[in-house]
Amino acid sequence: MNDELRIGVFVCDCGSNIAGVVDVPDVVEYAKTLPHVAHVDEGKWSCSVDALGTMKEAIQEQNLNRVVIASCTPRTHEPLFKASVKEAGLNPYLLEFVSIREQVSWVHMNEPEAATEKAKDLVKMGVAKAALLEEGEEIRLPVGRDAMIIGGGMSGMSAALFVAEQGFKAYIVEKGPDLGGILNRVSTVAHDDHTVPAAHIVQATRTKVEASPNITVYTNAEIESVDGYIGNYKVAVKTGGETVNLEISTVVVATGMREIEPEKGVFQYGENPSVMTQLQLEERLKTDDLDGFRNAAIINCVGSKNEEHGCCSVGCPVSVKNALALKKRNPDANVYILYRDMSLVKDEQVLFQEAKRAGIKFVRFPDDRYPEVTPEDGGLAVKVRDFLLGEDLTIPADLLVLTVGFTGDESIDAVRGQLKVSTNKEGFFQERHIKLGPLDFPADGVALCGCAKNPKTLKESCEEGIGAAMRASIPMKNGFIEAEGIVADIDLTNCDQCNLCYKRCPYGAIEIDEEKRPSVIKALCKGCGLCAADCPKECITIVHYSDEQLQAQVEAALEEDPDKKILSFVCHWCALGGVDMAGVSRLQYPTNARLIRVMCSARVPIKLIERAYELGAAGVLVVGCEFPTCHYISGNYACEKRIKRARKRLQKNGYDPDKLRLEWCSAADGPKFANIMRDMARELNLG
Amino acid sequence: MSDEILIVGAGVAGINAALNAADYGAKVYLVDDTPSIGGMMARLDKTFPTNDCSICIEAPQMYEVDNHPNIEILTNTEVKKVKKADEGFKVRLVRKARFVDEEKCTGCGACFEACPVTIPDEMDGRIFGNRKLAYMPFPQAVPNVAVIDPDCRYGNMNDKGACVGGCVVDCSQCRECPIALCVKACKEEGKDAVRLWQANKNINLTVKSIIVASGIEGAVPQEGLHGYRTCRNVITNMEFERLMNAGGPTGGEIVRPSDREHAHKIGWIQCAGRGLDHGTPYCSKVCCMIAAKQTIITKEHDASVETTIFYNDLKAYGKGMWGFYEKAKESGVRYVRARPYDVTEDPDTGNVRIRYEDLETGRPVEEEFDLLVLSTGLVPSARNKKLAKALKIELDKFGYFKEEDPILAPLETKVKGVYLCGGATGPIDISESVVQATAASMKAVA
Repeated sequence: MNDELRIGVFVCDCGSNIAGVVDVPDVVEYAKTLPHVAHVDEGKWSCSVDALGTMKEAIQEQNLNRVVIASCTPRTHEPLFKASVKEAGLNPYLLEFVSIREQVSWVHMNEPEAATEKAKDLVKMGVAKAALLEEGEEIRLPVGRDAMIIGGGMSGMSAALFVAEQGFKAYIVEKGPDLGGILNRVSTVAHDDHTVPAAHIVQATRTKVEASPNITVYTNAEIESVDGYIGNYKVAVKTGGETVNLEISTVVVATGMREIEPEKGVFQYGENPSVMTQLQLEERLKTDDLDGFRNAAIINCVGSKNEEHGCCSVGCPVSVKNALALKKRNPDANVYILYRDMSLVKDEQVLFQEAKRAGIKFVRFPDDRYPEVTPEDGGLAVKVRDFLLGEDLTIPADLLVLTVGFTGDESIDAVRGQLKVSTNKEGFFQERHIKLGPLDFPADGVALCGCAKNPKTLKESCEEGIGAAMRASIPMKNGFIEAEGIVADIDLTNCDQCNLCYKRCPYGAIEIDEEKRPSVIKALCKGCGLCAADCPKECITIVHYSDEQLQAQVEAALEEDPDKKILSFVCHWCALGGVDMAGVSRLQYPTNARLIRVMCSARVPIKLIERAYELGAAGVLVVGCEFPTCHYISGNYACEKRIKRARKRLQKNGYDPDKLRLEWCSAADGPKFANIMRDMARELNLG
Repeated sequence: MSDEILIVGAGVAGINAALNAADYGAKVYLVDDTPSIGGMMARLDKTFPTNDCSICIEAPQMYEVDNHPNIEILTNTEVKKVKKADEGFKVRLVRKARFVDEEKCTGCGACFEACPVTIPDEMDGRIFGNRKLAYMPFPQAVPNVAVIDPDCRYGNMNDKGACVGGCVVDCSQCRECPIALCVKACKEEGKDAVRLWQANKNINLTVKSIIVASGIEGAVPQEGLHGYRTCRNVITNMEFERLMNAGGPTGGEIVRPSDREHAHKIGWIQCAGRGLDHGTPYCSKVCCMIAAKQTIITKEHDASVETTIFYNDLKAYGKGMWGFYEKAKESGVRYVRARPYDVTEDPDTGNVRIRYEDLETGRPVEEEFDLLVLSTGLVPSARNKKLAKALKIELDKFGYFKEEDPILAPLETKVKGVYLCGGATGPIDISESVVQATAASMKAVA
């Protein structure tokens, strides 16, 4: 790369979409006057194949080493232009994208002059940043072909089988003596209109696992320690009195769940031998150790659907299935199910109908009035309020089954610490994102499945296991993981080892050495910039979004008429989506905003807000993703806290903190963004 | 053997199956018979139990699919014929004419503005949602290009003043229609992307495996059910969802179909149509949480709105769902266990009068609402029958695709190499769809 900066600016007409409002030739002439600009071109459709060809030629012929595209929105077109720049032989990180359609021509259709001025400003900001851009590169971390699966239940075995099928090695670490997990305690599994012995299912799966040459099973095994990260894990497993050391690349967590045992005395549990939980009943049904009952009652939602615990998710179908099993065992017996809501889906209702036909009695009790159980004549008396009849009933029972809820396995705390992942208050592991990453943890290379996440049916557990195998297999198949070049970089010169970055990184992408010096595991970094904005010593830089680059944009935006401008930082994912939506919907709003794109609202440092104030900005706006959405897990929460600190600091330094506004916009919030701009312009008297 | 896979349906399940398979290294054809990928999720407002904005979560994935080197998107495309071949399948797809050149169109919207014919939108028609015959399915559509309704092309709309106006020439014969306003507008933009004479096109592929992710639909009640279509201000939960959506036809204003006035007292009837011949014979599992969400969001729009949910059994299955129900109650929604039996309209005010049995007291109660929402549940997609026939796989008694052995071989069908995920398997939420999609992609590439 040559030393002299030669910036090429390409301004798009987008047919009449931009050129119909913005005076593009004027913007072009203006761009020519900006520092380091060596070439400016106007294109009717910059994204068309011929225009891209012209751009590539210009880059090569004019020796351009930075490129600014002023056109639609980076959210749709940046990859295209990046690829073209790369084809022209330039590092794609040397491209800066300026949005003059969604942010200008579509939203200021009736103010062509002000729109043109805004377009010029945005181009100037783009050029100022472009001058400071540096080359970046995708970062690769090698990943091997060995996975550890923690837990040998049905979801763990399903995961192992699919990992193994691709020729990868799977190591199952099972704490119990046998594979099969909680299903080993269950008598039957019902699906649609047929019921299958659980032992058959476990056996069929276990046989496949044992037959696979790529699966190694450690039973009675416990994980002693885990070090490293994806591609690079060292695990010590204690099994059969010795320690086995494994070197593995990915991890699947499938530790399962357990029943929450009721306290002694609750519904006579632990005091009367005929009171048992559903799993205890399953074991009795399995060993055929259950006879002589005349009156069986099942109470659902024991310990569930209250402040501590939610719906156990599986209790209703289990209660119906087991009521039928009891009835089958002893057709003359009375069987009652006492319930709050009968929560059955699709096929499960087949069993419900069957249960009704078999004479099983269903009694709904009110949410706030659980049945009372007292000893009577050697048996039990269950007093229940029938919600529908509005009457109290007393049912004699010589068998009482409690449908209790579930929590994660006992090992959950140990595994959480070893893998540095999180759990929720109900004792289950917390996935990366309920919808975007239901089988992942935030850290790459660690997948999650089955009842370790929350209670599930057998079918769902197996599906999750197979899905988790996919999540673990992708990097193993590719042989590497790759991170975009937008990552953090720590300069240790001024670092005082406060380790804030290490503690706050949502991805575990910062590690510390023995002397507490932090460093970035670049392949794991997602580039949100939270660490950089929080670092008290300003040691951290984010490639493509460095403090200097962002500051150059701030300075350029506020060089002229700062008192008319609202300097706005918007996150790439949702806020810019809202801005684009306002554009697409042609919502008209005042022209004062000068937008600076950041990947996450957590990137915005207080010093830049303060700088905007110093330069005399009319106002400052920070827009992030609406709660709870954040592309970087919790960046918007971090931003909210920081803005509070910023306000205090601004006040202390004699500025009006009310000119700083923090807003949350979803990608559908076009109208909201337009309203924010209108409000701010009014409040700041920018009429 | 080909390592290419075909995914039928590009909603959230199809998209996730595609992304996983493509990241794994497989070449993916992602096919959808509508003009955009995104499916049902792209039209939702928020998603339970976190109230994440639906398009905020899905749009980045749609965008990733669009830019993935291993994924080819084929919208407006149907599966016509599938033949087992060697260890894979020979597939014939038909790409329905979109009457727009996808390569040339930039989604600028000049053709919509020029199009003189406005018709009610398929989804939002009852709640002020109109579209032109030249249109974009929704603002974030991928591909972000226009589509022209075939109704226009064949001149069916002539009497309503279609662009082809008094033209007597079938546009399929015409190469250069000077009167078609969309053609003209596009030419004026310098793009010349409208192709009124475009024909359907066959595409032949050979693939290793097929994932069916053809989705699910919100049930549309029969006329008269709880006043649907007989009372103006009775709508379905899907219609209400569109009403709340800032990107929907009213820009997120919760207004009544009868008079566009804001609704101040809104009722929800759960399990609407459940067990009826024309309704859903089963619990669709998501409606309780959808109602909880809709009441929370309604309260966020305007805290003074009174919300009531009439229900029988509460379904708060799964992670975080119970807490979400509690949140709805905290936000002030009134839950009433009830059996509604009669809904009538006050012709003067347009208000909806409900008579119901309060299950707790056993007494009949009458109450008036500004707007009534029917939680109608989910039904199999209308496309299932045709697709099952083409793929030679079976449907279950409800009309969902049947798994051969749901417990030992989940998501597999009678035909080896054809896998299922998402709403194609039955009522399901987004998170579960993503899980199944990931699992199906594993089976498809393994």
